[in-house]
Amino acid sequence: MSGIYLHIPFCKQACSYCDFYFVTRQEIRKDFVNRICEEIDRYAATRYSEEPVKTIYLGGGTPSLLEVGEIERIFIHIEKVFRLEPEEITMEINPDDVTVDYLKGLRSLGIDRASMGIQSFDADRLIFMNRAHTPDEARFSLEVLSRAGFRIFTTDLIYGNPGQETEELEADIDQLLAFDPPHISAYALTIEPRTRLGKQVELGRLNPADDDLVSDHIDLLNEKLSANGIYRYEVSNYSKPGFEAVHNGSYWRHENYLGFGPSSHSFWWDDEKGASRWKSENNINLYLSEPFEELYMEKENLPMDELGEERLFLGLRTSAGVSLDELHNRYDYQLSARQREWISQKKDEGLLQFDKQIIALTGDGVKIADHLIVELLTRK
Amino acid sequence: MNNIRNFCIIAHIDHGKSTLADRLLEKTGTITEREMQAQVLDDMDLERERGITIKSHAIRMDYKRPNGETYIFNLIDTPGHVDFAYEVSRALKACEGALLIVDAAQGIEAQTISNLYQAIDQNLEIVPVLNKIDLPGADPEGISQQIVDLIGCEPDEILKVSGKTGEGVEELMEAIVERIPGPKREAEKPLRALIFDSIFNTYRGSIAYVRVMEGTLRKGDSIYFMETQIDEYDAEEIGYLKLKKEPTDKLEAGEVGYVIGSVKSLQDARVGDTITHSKNRATEPIPGYKEVKPMVFSGIYPTNAEDFEDLRGALEKLQLNDASLQYQPETSKALGFGFRTGFLGLLHMEIVQERLDREFNMDIITTVPNVKYEVVVSHKGEEFKKLVDNPSEMPDAGKVETVFEPYIKASIITPADYIGPIMKLCQDRRGVYINQLFMQNNRVEIIYELPMAEVVFDFYDKLKSGTRGYASLDYEFIEYRKGDLVRLDILLNGEPVDALSSITHRDKAYEQGRKICGKLKELIPRQQYEVAVQAAIGSRVIARDTIRALKKDVTAKCYGGDITRKRKLIEKQKEGKKRMKQVGSVDIPQEAFLAVLSMDEDDR
Ligand SMILES: Nc1nc2c(ncn2[C@@H]2O[C@H](COP(=O)(O)OP(=O)(O)OP(=O)(O)O)[C@@H](O)[C@H]2O)c(=O)[nH]1
Ligand code: SF4
Ligand SMILES: [Mg+2]
Repeated sequence: MSGIYLHIPFCKQACSYCDFYFVTRQEIRKDFVNRICEEIDRYAATRYSEEPVKTIYLGGGTPSLLEVGEIERIFIHIEKVFRLEPEEITMEINPDDVTVDYLKGLRSLGIDRASMGIQSFDADRLIFMNRAHTPDEARFSLEVLSRAGFRIFTTDLIYGNPGQETEELEADIDQLLAFDPPHISAYALTIEPRTRLGKQVELGRLNPADDDLVSDHIDLLNEKLSANGIYRYEVSNYSKPGFEAVHNGSYWRHENYLGFGPSSHSFWWDDEKGASRWKSENNINLYLSEPFEELYMEKENLPMDELGEERLFLGLRTSAGVSLDELHNRYDYQLSARQREWISQKKDEGLLQFDKQIIALTGDGVKIADHLIVELLTRK
Repeated sequence: MNNIRNFCIIAHIDHGKSTLADRLLEKTGTITEREMQAQVLDDMDLERERGITIKSHAIRMDYKRPNGETYIFNLIDTPGHVDFAYEVSRALKACEGALLIVDAAQGIEAQTISNLYQAIDQNLEIVPVLNKIDLPGADPEGISQQIVDLIGCEPDEILKVSGKTGEGVEELMEAIVERIPGPKREAEKPLRALIFDSIFNTYRGSIAYVRVMEGTLRKGDSIYFMETQIDEYDAEEIGYLKLKKEPTDKLEAGEVGYVIGSVKSLQDARVGDTITHSKNRATEPIPGYKEVKPMVFSGIYPTNAEDFEDLRGALEKLQLNDASLQYQPETSKALGFGFRTGFLGLLHMEIVQERLDREFNMDIITTVPNVKYEVVVSHKGEEFKKLVDNPSEMPDAGKVETVFEPYIKASIITPADYIGPIMKLCQDRRGVYINQLFMQNNRVEIIYELPMAEVVFDFYDKLKSGTRGYASLDYEFIEYRKGDLVRLDILLNGEPVDALSSITHRDKAYEQGRKICGKLKELIPRQQYEVAVQAAIGSRVIARDTIRALKKDVTAKCYGGDITRKRKLIEKQKEGKKRMKQVGSVDIPQEAFLAVLSMDEDDR
């Protein structure tokens, strides 16, 4: 079983925190759709198309800038090349693109999970983020989801913003809960260097939120969401039980996935010795003009020990944790004595659980997951 | 006919010594156009990158006069920076004359004067040269007057040249022949050859650069080092110092050349020592040999304990090229095994650190530099003296009778407008005013005596920034004086960290303690638990800060399957973590050990 990721590299405008790859020129959309169809066709009758496809994910950029017909064309190519046994087809949708008809169109293509780029309901905050939508558009988009037949949806929410008071976040959460979301992706704002926010921080015009405050935000989220039956199952992902994201989960579990479009990533197991990962060039012009072979860069061959280490840290970011049996059987990865010693120490400190060969971070542990992961890995 | 001229080029830093040397090499045809590059004698990578001379460089040239006579010039280009004053003193000994270069725009600066006095002390013929006359801002008249005032020459004795355009260089070469006396050529006397420099070559071992003062050194001769009294070598190869080394059969009195010993590592070739023949020995070595004394000391530790032996090897090799570098093993509770290393000054220290990194790929931690103290300790009613070059070795206050610290005499040359700020700076640094002398062009030389500890670190930067770059500084050690000094300890979670101790004046201890704590709080990343940072004199805590516990450290996203990015981030953090030193349960980054140095402006 594998997953397919489609990167749709268009946006109306640049959000101030965003360092995803996108362009704001829409004129080349037609060419792009043609090209991504060609890219999909290349996989016909290869080992990559032998496995049934379990998930499709349209991400970006802003996939909702595509017309229904364009998405349909892409899907036709996917169906031609791959065998589909879809469990989940997700599309990222920006509130300002939402109409009932558009959503219905998407549903008719089999898209069953809407990932709504809400981020905030606060007018000033949305301006600060340079989002293209208004609070009203955000509310409207969530209201019409179910009318259009989307039972499953997720909304993005960004907390830990510079100058964000706890009350502001609380209002956002309450507003969101009013729509009874089965899934929420809540991210602490990361200030990336090559973004507008990054520049401002560099110039000293903006201070990132204090970690103590962000920590309070996390507590607030956990508390409010779990009171509504929504639980954290990964650092930035919360859901009602049974509504966990299938596609994103496949990244953490090292399942095969193929990426299409510029700046997309792919991962595929080679054999029992390791796996490959590659990325396609993040440049739409090259994507449209160069032979595909030239676009795949940073091709890595990941040996088992590296994969094992990866699985360990990815697993520690999830509430399910990671099983030592899995590490051993699948990756031949074994913990050192120093690592085991560290684990029992951190268990005593209440930062992780270690039970039936499964290690998982506790709520307190997750908050400093990077710190703990680095400590654990340097003890190898 | 005595057709040899041995001379060096001396000046304040950046006044154009090496550039002028380029022109001499070019005009004498020592170097082809193809080989030419700016400051060609500055052949170390670091010299080229920083655009300064660190080591003296000797080279031999053949000069054909317009009248057809040929002369041999042995030139030694010297460094201008105060840290390397010792290099200059050695170079001077090998010469009969010195070209004293003065920048026609900047005029006389602190090292102009100190180098001049050294040259006069050695009885050298001084040829004053006004350089950079091509500069639009040049003031040949005014600066000439400064030179006249300083050395008491006639205005028309000052040569006017441009090392950049080559103007005046022909006249300079004639002046070298006419004014600088040829060396005495007592080739029959017992051999006395002065080692004025030595370099280390991986293939050939140590190569000694010598000036033969008396006698004749022949290829294959058995030689004897008079100061170190070592008698094991033959002069396997001798020769002249052209751009490439040019072997010859003999070096006679008055000549300058090189000697390579039969044993590969001619480690005993100490700069300043005298070479004579094993058999027919001279009676006295050339006077004035002195061991170079480091002024500044710092601990150098390998980041990874396993690299200790490699670090020792690297220091050994560096020392072969740089006799002024001294080191001895020491241990620190916080940092493990390392070396207490002595330097001539802060620039020297920086250069050694950089060379360890680049030439030997050593990952090191350095501690805050300090000077050497003399401490009178009383123990069971008995008093004895102890030298302390590592603050953590300063005995506890109760046992210390008196502490003596090194003082220097500083000479600062500045436009008169900046007298005020300079005096304030010197006063803040516990300086004792001696006097001031007014010079041409509204300039003043200010003399202060200051504790060396107050000068070696950031004094120069402060001086420069307080005078818009106009002031220049020279200093020399004078003596040890009594001072009210205390050891300031730093404690993390109650545990003293020896490598963070420093010695400071009692009156400044509170301020200093507060600032170090603040700086450490900034530099030490938050840890899982709160860390108390304290500064203490003996058992008395005088400042305190807290590094709050880590509350949040987790990257939000694994971007669209981009696990690689996340992994790279973790790899980087792993590297960072490995480079930190664990003291107790606290991870300390390397920069923290230099915290005191990185305190800026009014921090100190
Ligand atoms: N315009 C002009 N610039 C010059 C002249 N001579 C040197 N310079 C410049 O002055 C700077 C310093 O020159 P160097 O020859 O490296 O000076 P130095 O005295 O050898 O310096 P240290 O060895 O570090 O003390 C360089 O940027 C040179 O290009 C000159 O005659 N005219
Ligand atoms: S819409 Fe999404 S991809 Fe586009 S700029 Fe904003 S955050 Fe980035
Ligand atoms: Mg130079």
